[in-house]
Amino acid sequence: MATYIGRRLVLLPIVAFGVTVLIFALLQFLAPEMRAAAFITNPNQLNALPAIIQKYGLDKPVHIQYVNWLREVFLRGNLGWSQTARQPVRQAIGSFFPATLELTMYSFIPIMIIGVWLGTAAAVHRDKAIDHVSRVFSISFRSLPSFVWGLLILMILYGRLNWFPPGRLSLEQDLFVRSGQFHFYTHVMTIDALLNGELWIFLDAVRHLAGPVLTLTMISIALLVRITRSSMLEVLRQDYVRTARAKGLDEPVVINVHARKNALIPVITLSSLTFVGLLGGVVITETIFNFPGIGRWGAFAANQLDIPGVTGFAMFVAALTVLGNLAADILYAYFDPRVRLQ
Amino acid sequence: MNWTRSALALLVLTLALTLVGTGIAQGQATRNPDTLVLVRFGDPETLDPAYSYDTASSEIILWHVYETLIFFNGGSTGQFVPMLATQVPSVRNGGISMDGKTYTFRLRSGVKFHDGSTMTVEDVKYSLLRFMFMDRDGGPSWILLSPILGVEGTRDDKGALDAALFNKANQAIKTSGDTISITLESPYAPFLSIMAQWSMVVNRKWAIAQDDWNGTPLGVAKLNNPAKPEDTKLFSQGNGTGPFKLAQWDRQGRQAILERNTTYWRAPAKLARVVYRVVEDFGPRRLMIQQGDADIVSVNRTEQSQVEGVQGVRVIDDLPQLVMTGIYMNLKIDTSGGNPDVGSGRLDGNGVPADFFADVNVRRGVAYAFDYNTTIRDCNRGKAIVGRGAIPAGMFGYNPNQRWFTTDRARAEAAFREARGGQVWANGFKFSVAFNSGNTTRQCTAQVLKSNLEALNPKFKVDVRGVTWAQYLSLYRQSKLPMWIIGWAADYPDADNFVTPFQHSKGTYGSAQGYTNAEVDKLIVDARNETDAAKRRAIYFKLSEIAFNDITTIYLQPVGFQVMRSWVRGWYNNPAFFGPYVYPMSKS
Repeated sequence: MATYIGRRLVLLPIVAFGVTVLIFALLQFLAPEMRAAAFITNPNQLNALPAIIQKYGLDKPVHIQYVNWLREVFLRGNLGWSQTARQPVRQAIGSFFPATLELTMYSFIPIMIIGVWLGTAAAVHRDKAIDHVSRVFSISFRSLPSFVWGLLILMILYGRLNWFPPGRLSLEQDLFVRSGQFHFYTHVMTIDALLNGELWIFLDAVRHLAGPVLTLTMISIALLVRITRSSMLEVLRQDYVRTARAKGLDEPVVINVHARKNALIPVITLSSLTFVGLLGGVVITETIFNFPGIGRWGAFAANQLDIPGVTGFAMFVAALTVLGNLAADILYAYFDPRVRLQ
Repeated sequence: MNWTRSALALLVLTLALTLVGTGIAQGQATRNPDTLVLVRFGDPETLDPAYSYDTASSEIILWHVYETLIFFNGGSTGQFVPMLATQVPSVRNGGISMDGKTYTFRLRSGVKFHDGSTMTVEDVKYSLLRFMFMDRDGGPSWILLSPILGVEGTRDDKGALDAALFNKANQAIKTSGDTISITLESPYAPFLSIMAQWSMVVNRKWAIAQDDWNGTPLGVAKLNNPAKPEDTKLFSQGNGTGPFKLAQWDRQGRQAILERNTTYWRAPAKLARVVYRVVEDFGPRRLMIQQGDADIVSVNRTEQSQVEGVQGVRVIDDLPQLVMTGIYMNLKIDTSGGNPDVGSGRLDGNGVPADFFADVNVRRGVAYAFDYNTTIRDCNRGKAIVGRGAIPAGMFGYNPNQRWFTTDRARAEAAFREARGGQVWANGFKFSVAFNSGNTTRQCTAQVLKSNLEALNPKFKVDVRGVTWAQYLSLYRQSKLPMWIIGWAADYPDADNFVTPFQHSKGTYGSAQGYTNAEVDKLIVDARNETDAAKRRAIYFKLSEIAFNDITTIYLQPVGFQVMRSWVRGWYNNPAFFGPYVYPMSKS
């Protein structure tokens, strides 16, 4: 097992290297002046483009720019300055990530619980009401893009009902949090609020999380329900399930112990992808709900040709993906003896 | 069936709640009565007064955290009132020397910085020098460098700092007792406008203690064009004399918070707090003002209808602003390298040659063909006026009686028939009008122009092409675009700041268009140095007349609007402002 994990970890720097080379290569398709535009915020600054190109070495050959960047990263641990975040890239990732992590935490748990439960129920009660209901919900949730759901939820739950406002905290709560009377332990707002014993901050943070969490849950759950259902159906047809039933085992035991565990392999694959996808930032949902997460920043950085920002963001997501796949591989081995024994 | 019942119940409950929700009345008491929340779609770049050169940054610090020696009188851009100085210098009160070169300001006494220390003339001098010698690439330092030292930058072509400049500046700005005098390289009429906006005073001792510029010539090298501006404390912290203190700039949470300065030299501000938030997406921004979670929000012209008629929200329209949008014709197109915007690159009906617009008849043809009324009605929702030259309406030097082009198909045809000895009319042409993609107003304008030109002659072909902002800047600077549309906002409210970029052969747009007129260049410099208002006005009138005769650019001046909650009190507009001046404002 250790070698298995070790081999996967060796992949990490290789993937990171590949990602950075790819991004640098892609960005070279743009003329230096286009890349310098990231530094121009108003047309009155236009005459300064040549100086900016020179200052940031944007006209140097790609390998020189790449080596310069590598030197900064490895010798000084400096990922560069993000023009869009107005702070160093490393700091930007560190500051945007907790919000995304919080969003992921609160979305992933309901996605998994409801998704697996509903998928199992649909398979067990095949062609019964629950199967039809779950199918209709999955298809309708999946059939509209996330920004439509996001805007709809925002319009109804904030615009009409004023229950779940966008952002991370309301004004009064936000000012309190910044007043110095509140200590940031993890930068995950709900956890910090509880650690500080400030229930009203916790409740306000939950109010702000509800909208994006609901949107993410709705769109991510659909696929999981469908996959769990089909995988369960497959397993329920297996001989050992029939044997278990023939032995006279209770139906819940058959389903939950014998069948479900074996049906989880494709579910794990999908959930690890979902998890990494959520952690890497959900651009549209974060943008619509004005949630200060890493996805919103990454997209903005790409849009503005903020090279250090995009590179840093991509490296971060690449690392997450490798780690996410590693976790999935370990889980396979845990759930499926066939993987373990190979 | 258990399943069905719970699922159905859930569905019914959701629906019911939605319906109940739609019926909730929107009657609201003033939210956060002592805090003003402004929601924008762009982040500030910096909070350093010597580095900031964008409206999102300036609207936060200017006159709120840092104050200037003089200030604009109400909504006027040409009349001033004292701020940190005790009077506005004039030749009559001896504040401006007879030769128009030396400006003397007497400093208000007893003004305290946010840390409690007292402001002195040394702080003013330090601030002005710091502003000039920060001189970052693409920054605002030229605004003081140009009148005071007669240079546009502090570095040579190779990027090396000109060491002699600092001594010169040190000589030009002199302090004595409680007065500070600034001697200009040559008389520069708009200098008071500049002082009203770009003389922000920072706390010298505090800045030095923050490891900022130490005030000596030796420290200039470190101050100049900083490689990592974020490493300086003034990037994100402030210490000025203004009615608000800078409490926090949270770049991750994308908001800046100002708090009332209780020891302000005038009566303290009515509002305890000002919050500037960034929300990129229009949807949530609109809902925030509807719910009262925002007091003032940025809205684009195309989104205006969505905030009109919202209860408790006020839309104040027809605000004059010092912005001019141009449709530029390029007299010297760079057609090399398979430029896709000029077609074949020849006047064969499938392209245009490099000097296509060099013929004034072509340019006149375009100016007469363009349907101004449709553009203003359909692309600007009626909220723009046709500019009569580079100088915006409402500014000193604008001539309301300047003759200008109106849509006239017959004249357009006549001009095109005359162009290039009839070749243009006979062969036809093809080129693109570019706009920066996403800007729907400019896109619409380009489309109107396309249909106007194509209606004249079936051989006239125009493409409308959207280009990303980055590519746009690059292409137009290399003179690759035959025709493009972009705006200019005043750095300070003076005609010089418009005629220079638009008409001077070395100006931002004039140079990209390859436009050279020696008379224009000379008149622009003459107007700068002219202190007699009547003579100066005459020169600007002359420049507008030349803009008409030479017609290289079609001008459109958009008017602005503000969207705010009706509980906001005390707001007023000045075209020179970068954002609302919060000091007199309150909520009720």
